[in-house]
Amino acid sequence: MFSSIMKKASPVFATVACALATPALAATCPADFPDGPIALKVGFSAGGGTDSVARKAASLLQQQQGWTVYVENHPGASGGVMAKGLLKADSKGLSIGVGSTTTLAINPYKSKDINYTYQDFNYMGTGMMLNYGLTTKSGKPYSNLEEFVEYARDKGRATVSVGSLSYEIAVRNIAKHYGVRLIPIPTKGSSRALKDALGGHVDATVQGTAHVSQIRAGKMVQLATLTSERATYAPETKTLIENGLDLAIDGHIIFFTPKHTDSQIQTCLTEALAEVTESSEYTDMMNKLQAAASNLGAEGTTSYLQATSKFYQEALAK
Amino acid sequence: MFDLDLIISGLANAMTLTNICYILAGVVIGQIVGATPGLSIIMALAIAIPITFALDPLTAISFLISVNKGGTVGGAVPSILINVPGTPESAATALDGHPMAKKGKPLKALKYGLYYSFFGDLSSDIILILIAAPLAVLALQMGPVEILALMILAFTVISGLVGNSMIKGLTAAAFGFLLASVGLDPATASPRFTFGMLDLYDGLHLTALSIGALAMSELLHGMVNTRRGEKSAASIKINSKSKEDSHVSWAEVLANKFVAFRALIIGTIIGAIPGLGSTTAGFLSYSITKQSAKDPEKFGTGDPRGIAATETANSAVVGANLIPLLTLGIPGNIAAALLVSALMIHGIQPGPLLFEEQGELVYGMFGAMLIANFCNLGIAQFCMRFWAKVISAPKTVVFAAALLLCLTGAYVADGGTFAAFIAIIMAVVGYLMRMFGYSIVAFIVAFILTPQLEESIIQARLITDGDITMLVYHPIAIALLVLSVASVVFLGPRGNRKKKAKNVTAGDEKNA
Repeated sequence: MFSSIMKKASPVFATVACALATPALAATCPADFPDGPIALKVGFSAGGGTDSVARKAASLLQQQQGWTVYVENHPGASGGVMAKGLLKADSKGLSIGVGSTTTLAINPYKSKDINYTYQDFNYMGTGMMLNYGLTTKSGKPYSNLEEFVEYARDKGRATVSVGSLSYEIAVRNIAKHYGVRLIPIPTKGSSRALKDALGGHVDATVQGTAHVSQIRAGKMVQLATLTSERATYAPETKTLIENGLDLAIDGHIIFFTPKHTDSQIQTCLTEALAEVTESSEYTDMMNKLQAAASNLGAEGTTSYLQATSKFYQEALAK
Repeated sequence: MFDLDLIISGLANAMTLTNICYILAGVVIGQIVGATPGLSIIMALAIAIPITFALDPLTAISFLISVNKGGTVGGAVPSILINVPGTPESAATALDGHPMAKKGKPLKALKYGLYYSFFGDLSSDIILILIAAPLAVLALQMGPVEILALMILAFTVISGLVGNSMIKGLTAAAFGFLLASVGLDPATASPRFTFGMLDLYDGLHLTALSIGALAMSELLHGMVNTRRGEKSAASIKINSKSKEDSHVSWAEVLANKFVAFRALIIGTIIGAIPGLGSTTAGFLSYSITKQSAKDPEKFGTGDPRGIAATETANSAVVGANLIPLLTLGIPGNIAAALLVSALMIHGIQPGPLLFEEQGELVYGMFGAMLIANFCNLGIAQFCMRFWAKVISAPKTVVFAAALLLCLTGAYVADGGTFAAFIAIIMAVVGYLMRMFGYSIVAFIVAFILTPQLEESIIQARLITDGDITMLVYHPIAIALLVLSVASVVFLGPRGNRKKKAKNVTAGDEKNA
């Protein structure tokens, strides 16, 4: 109900916002930029969420700025292959990396073969925020986090299927906070994790977006929202922070260039990305993907990554 | 349970002009590739997948399925005409198809192949359409413990059926096992066999690996056997002067209806079991038909029953293979695995939720499959003589062009130059395996199944808390494990006994 109103309303809001913002936001770029076609280097294979966002951004950059922009996929190690390669790019700003929170805040602390940290890059901003949630099949004896924790306490343990390392860390943190045994079941991809939860093989699952349609259909219940704010599709469900945990797992799609990129060009690219994320075409697409078109901006992204990197560095050191 | 609106709108979606054009194009491409010796249909699919990025999902899937169907029909052509299987699954077709062609009836043999292939494919598609939807409801019952049992069953069935030598077959499978463990391990995400190379973190790319091991190794094998100045041309002349020798009547087709029906059942069952494929179905159906015949000595001399048994079975697999794919998300063979990657690229996750989330697309896909079957029949009827011409292209041209296409396919499909290197290395490995008689099929199938097996072991252990008595709560898993034991006990030794018995009969015949 709520989201259908959102869907109808958002183009209007976005158009108004765009009309107001465009004169102020028109990117100020050096006269000779760009000195050739611009590559958006995506750290994941074609077809995934990050890829579709990058492709949308590329076509909008092309439309709005008149640049030639193309997408290159460099999958591997959650964006690690791409980010490592991006460090070798020159200062002309023709190579832009598109990765995720995992690429920049988890990878460096997970593996010895990653030789970069978030500090080696300069950030244009973010393109999308995912609404992570702890959810379960309807009809279980628990329908919120407190009841789920009580259930786990009574039974001695509860299983939670997780499709990625950051979800697993979230589950371990919840378990530690409440002092119960929650067992993360590592699963390849969130879709299979969802299948196991729907089949009743696990007690709950952490999901990004795939569960939203299930919640709408009444087949699943959101136990807790893991992001810092409540999810639009589950307005009744409390966040972890509201439950008393000092924990919020946010996932962002991040646009970045190597640190040594010319500073004028950095400003130009940051402004160009802001123009993209505020366009109505872009926000429409985000609504379809059940995500928020949030752009933290250059400074916001840097401080977000600083905090997130510290969190994961500590979590993974254990 | 069935939503009729959804079914009708899905089928209507398949009937658009664009879609039909792509289906026709797919069938033609599939038939050409299948009919060209050395080019595998897997490769055609791998190369076609990036082309479909720009299409809408239904058109893309229709196109790929049509390529697959076209390839199955086209593959029989070189098997029959020059005894070189265009695709591995048509290898058994050569056993009786080629002798019939040598007797001066090449067109008759080709038509037999086509009609039975059409029958097998169409019937298994109908079985898929009728049974896959209820199966999807049951699929949710397959949790990690059940999937683990299913994987164990798949491995036991493979080990019983693949290769002449059990030791070599198992060695090849173990090699697949080993290569599949490259990358981050699924439990703790620590790197294995990555040698500090980030490119290896996600493991070896399946497409690059299969292009190398299946297609490029086949090309290398062909090149090694080609001598300078040698001309490649079909050794058989196609004469259509005698109507008797170039046509197949209804009565002749119906004469083998029991053989074809049994082959359909074998093909559908094997297709529905993940990990087994058309090649196994073709050979199994052929050997069962031969052993149960009153006059087994006629097989191998151009008996239409041989063609009927093989072509019906290997084509039935094409449709049935989609049953585990659409319901469980488990690809039945490499072609289905490539189809999975195509679906994922379009943001569609095959699995138990597919019918719920993409019902219209699934029924559209069913519509496209039916259309593709008829296109396949029509085009093959019309172009049979042309396919024979493709066979006679000089090897020097075909091999060089095909190698280039393979490398491009690996490069485009999976991760750039790194994938191309994987393909080249695997081509050499595959060639050596071929030379020394190690089953590449066992190797690839093991490579595909291992990650799922490993993940299920980890998950099942965590879910049951390491307590094996928890199995009591998983009756499906128990049933599957019992089946695995049964397949080890009955399939393995019994197969050998039959082989021995056959050898004895063959010996007796010689003595007589």
